[in-house]
Amino acid sequence: MRVLILTSGVPFTRGGAEILAESLRDAVCAAGHQAEIVTLPFQSCPPSRVPEQMLACRLLDVTESCGMRIDRVIGLKFPAYLVPHPNKVIWMLHQHRTAYEFWDHPAAGDLIHYPDGQVVREAIHRADCTLLPEAKAIYTLSRNVSDRLRRCSGIDAEPLYNPPANALLFHNGPAGDYLFFPSRINSVKRQWLVIQALALCREPVRVYFAGEADNPAQQAECAKAQRELGLTNQVTWLGVVSEEQKCEWYANSLGVVFPPLDEDYGYVTLEAMLSSKPVITCADSGGPLEFVVHQHTGLVADASPQSLAGAMDALWADRRRAAALGEAGRERYLDLKISWENVVDKLLC
Amino acid sequence: MLKINWFSPLPPAHSGIAYYAAQILPVLANRHEVVAWTDQGQVAPELERTARVVRYDPANPPWRALNDADVSIYHLGNHGGIHGGIWRVSRQHPGIVVLHDLCLHDFFAMVFLRILEKPDAYLAALERWYGEEGRRVGEAFLAGGIGAETMGQRYPLTREAVSGALGVITHSRGALEGLHETPASPVAALDFPYAATEESRYLGWMAARSVAPGPPYRLVVFGYLSRNRRLGALLEALAGLDEREQFRLEICGQLWDEGHIRTQIERLGLGSLVKLLGFLPESLVEQKLSTADLAINLRYPSMGEASLSQLQFWDYGLPTLVTRTGWYASLPDDATAFVRPEHEVEDIQSHLRALLADPGAFRAMGERGRQSLENNDPEKYVDAMTQFAAMALRRSPLVTALALAGRVGNDLSAWLHPAASAYLLDRASQEIVTIWPGKPRGYP
Repeated sequence: MRVLILTSGVPFTRGGAEILAESLRDAVCAAGHQAEIVTLPFQSCPPSRVPEQMLACRLLDVTESCGMRIDRVIGLKFPAYLVPHPNKVIWMLHQHRTAYEFWDHPAAGDLIHYPDGQVVREAIHRADCTLLPEAKAIYTLSRNVSDRLRRCSGIDAEPLYNPPANALLFHNGPAGDYLFFPSRINSVKRQWLVIQALALCREPVRVYFAGEADNPAQQAECAKAQRELGLTNQVTWLGVVSEEQKCEWYANSLGVVFPPLDEDYGYVTLEAMLSSKPVITCADSGGPLEFVVHQHTGLVADASPQSLAGAMDALWADRRRAAALGEAGRERYLDLKISWENVVDKLLC
Repeated sequence: MLKINWFSPLPPAHSGIAYYAAQILPVLANRHEVVAWTDQGQVAPELERTARVVRYDPANPPWRALNDADVSIYHLGNHGGIHGGIWRVSRQHPGIVVLHDLCLHDFFAMVFLRILEKPDAYLAALERWYGEEGRRVGEAFLAGGIGAETMGQRYPLTREAVSGALGVITHSRGALEGLHETPASPVAALDFPYAATEESRYLGWMAARSVAPGPPYRLVVFGYLSRNRRLGALLEALAGLDEREQFRLEICGQLWDEGHIRTQIERLGLGSLVKLLGFLPESLVEQKLSTADLAINLRYPSMGEASLSQLQFWDYGLPTLVTRTGWYASLPDDATAFVRPEHEVEDIQSHLRALLADPGAFRAMGERGRQSLENNDPEKYVDAMTQFAAMALRRSPLVTALALAGRVGNDLSAWLHPAASAYLLDRASQEIVTIWPGKPRGYP
C-alpha cells in the first residue's frame, strides 16, 4: 500500500504529534508498505485564517501522485483530516481544542478573545460534523478524545492506543528522592499546580521538572512562584533532556507526577508505567485516567494544591507502596498489549 | 434561555430607540440573561435594576466577555454619534442587527467623514455596494455636488450596516427589498413593539376629549421635525383652506430650521392659528395628545422605518394623517388617513374638510388604531426576536462561508484571468457549500 499520513503543524515547532506521525510512518513501513508524511502548515490566529486553511485542505487532491494511486490516507490533526480521499481513515489526535473544551479556558482559550471567535468556532463545529463522517473509519488517540468527539460532534470512534516513542528504552532503577515531571512547561500541563502543592507538603517532597517552556514568560512565572513560596531546594528545573537522559530520570525517580488539564492521551503516563513508576495525576487530567487506577497503579487527586500535596506526601512517606504501585503499572501496561502492529493493522484494514 | 449582549442607546439618551429599549429590556431580561452594553456617560437607574448594564470602549471592546453570550443584538439608527460605537462592534463581532432606519447614508457620512475622518473608507463603502457609480457619486457628494437627501434615497448604504450580520430585523415588511438593499443574512420584519397604556387611563383621555368636541379642532405635529416632515406643505394646505379658522395647529418638537418655518407662518398669515411649542416635557406631551383631535405624521421622503410616534398617537386613540410611503403605507386603511406624496396639499385639505364634516368617523379611526396596538405587544415582540436569533445562530456558519467566498473571489480576480478562474471558483464554491451546508441540521 502507498500510505499518506496527513497532519498539520506549526512550522519550527516540534512536539508529541510530530513524533507520533514519524512513529506511525515507521510502523507502516515496517509492516511492508510505503508511507510518507504530509504536514500542512497551520496558523490558528487570527481566527479568520482558520476557515481559509480548512478550504485549502478541501481543495487538495491526494488521490494519486505521478499517476500512481495513493491507496490510503490517514488523517491525524485538524484541519488536515478534512482533506478528501476515497480511502481516508482518521486517527484523530484531537479536534481544534480551543473551539471545543478549551473555548473558555482561562489560559488555553484563544478564539474567545477574538471578535469573530464565535462564528469561526461554529464553522469548525459544523465542518467536523459534516466532513468527519466522510472517512471510512474514525479512530482516536484515546478514550478521552473519543468521549469528547461523541459529546461535541455526536460521532463514535474507537480509541487506538499506541506505545510511546523509544518504548524499549524505559526501565526500572533504584527509587531516588524525587518525583519526576517531564513535559512541556505551560499552563495546561500545570507545573504551577505542582509548585503550589509542594508548598503545602508536610514531607520534604522534591520534584524534578524536565522540558522546555512554550514561552519564556511561563518559565519565569513558575520560577517566580518557586522563589515566592520558598521552594528553592524542593524544585529542580532540568530543562531539555535527551531521550536517554529522560529514561534515566524516570528509572531513578520515586514516582511521576503528571496533573495536566484534560490531556488527550499522555505519553508521560505510559513512560512511567514502562519504568515501573507510580503516577500521581488529577481527576480532571483526561487521558492519564485511562491508565492510572487509583491506589493500584498510582494516585488520583483532586485538581487542588491541597489534594495534590496529600497524594505526593502519601507516596513520599511510603516508598514500599510506591514501588508496588509502579510494578502494578508496568503489569497493566503489558496487559493492554499496546503496540504499533495493532495500530497499523487497524488503520490499514 | 439565551445569554444576550444588547447594544442600543439607553435612557436618558434623547432617542426613540432608547425609549424602545426601555420597553423591551424588562421583558427580555425576564426571560433571558441580558447584559446591556453602553458607551453612554449616564444610564437611567431604573434600567440598571432591569438588566446588568456594562460600559465598553468602542475602540477596545471586551471580546472575551462578549463571547460569553450566545448572541449579540445591535440596534442601529441614523445618528452617527449615538450608534457609531455600536456599529464598530457589530462589524467585528457578528450578531443580530436591528435596523431602526433603513437609509443609513447619513449615518455613514457622519461616521466615516466626521467621526473617523476617513473619506477613503466612505468612498470604498459606496463602491463596494454600488460599484464605480457609487464611488463617482460619493466624490460628487464630497465636493458638494449632490445633496445628502439624494444620496440617502439612492445610495442608502444599508447593506454596509448589516454586512456579515447573523441576521437582520426591521420593523417594515419588504422594505429592504424595496430599497434594493437585501442583505445576504436572514431578515425578519417584526411589528414595532409598543406597550399600550392601560385601558382605564385611555378611557379617561377619551372622556376628556369628548368634553369639547366641536371646532376649533386641535391639530398636532410632534417629534424631531426635519425637512421630510412636510411642514411646508401642511402650512400651505391650512392657509389655502377656507375653513382654516376652524383649526388650531400646535407644532411640538425641535425644528430643523425654525426661522424658515416662522417666516412661512407669517407669510401665509397663519400667526393666529399656528403655535411653535418646541420640545415638550412628558407631562405636557400627555396633555397635548389627550386633548388633540388629529395628529399630522407626514414623512416624505421616508427613511423607511417604523414610527414610534405613530404608535404613541394610536395609544391616545388619535386619528392620524400619514404619507402613503415606506412603513406608513402598510398601516391599516381604516386606522389612518393617507396623503399621497404627489398630492400633499390637496389630500391634506380634503382630510381636514372630512374631519369637519364627520368628526365621529375620525374618532373611530383613532380607536381602531388603538385596538391595532395588540399586534405590537412587547411580549410577542420579544418572542419573535429571540426565535429569530436562535434560528440565525444555527445558520451562523453562513457568515464564514460568505466571507470565505468573498476572499476566494477577490484573491482569484487579482491573479487569474476570468476565463481561467471559472473552474477554480466552481471548485471552491462547491467545497464551501460542502463544508458549511446552507441548511444546517435542525433548521426548520
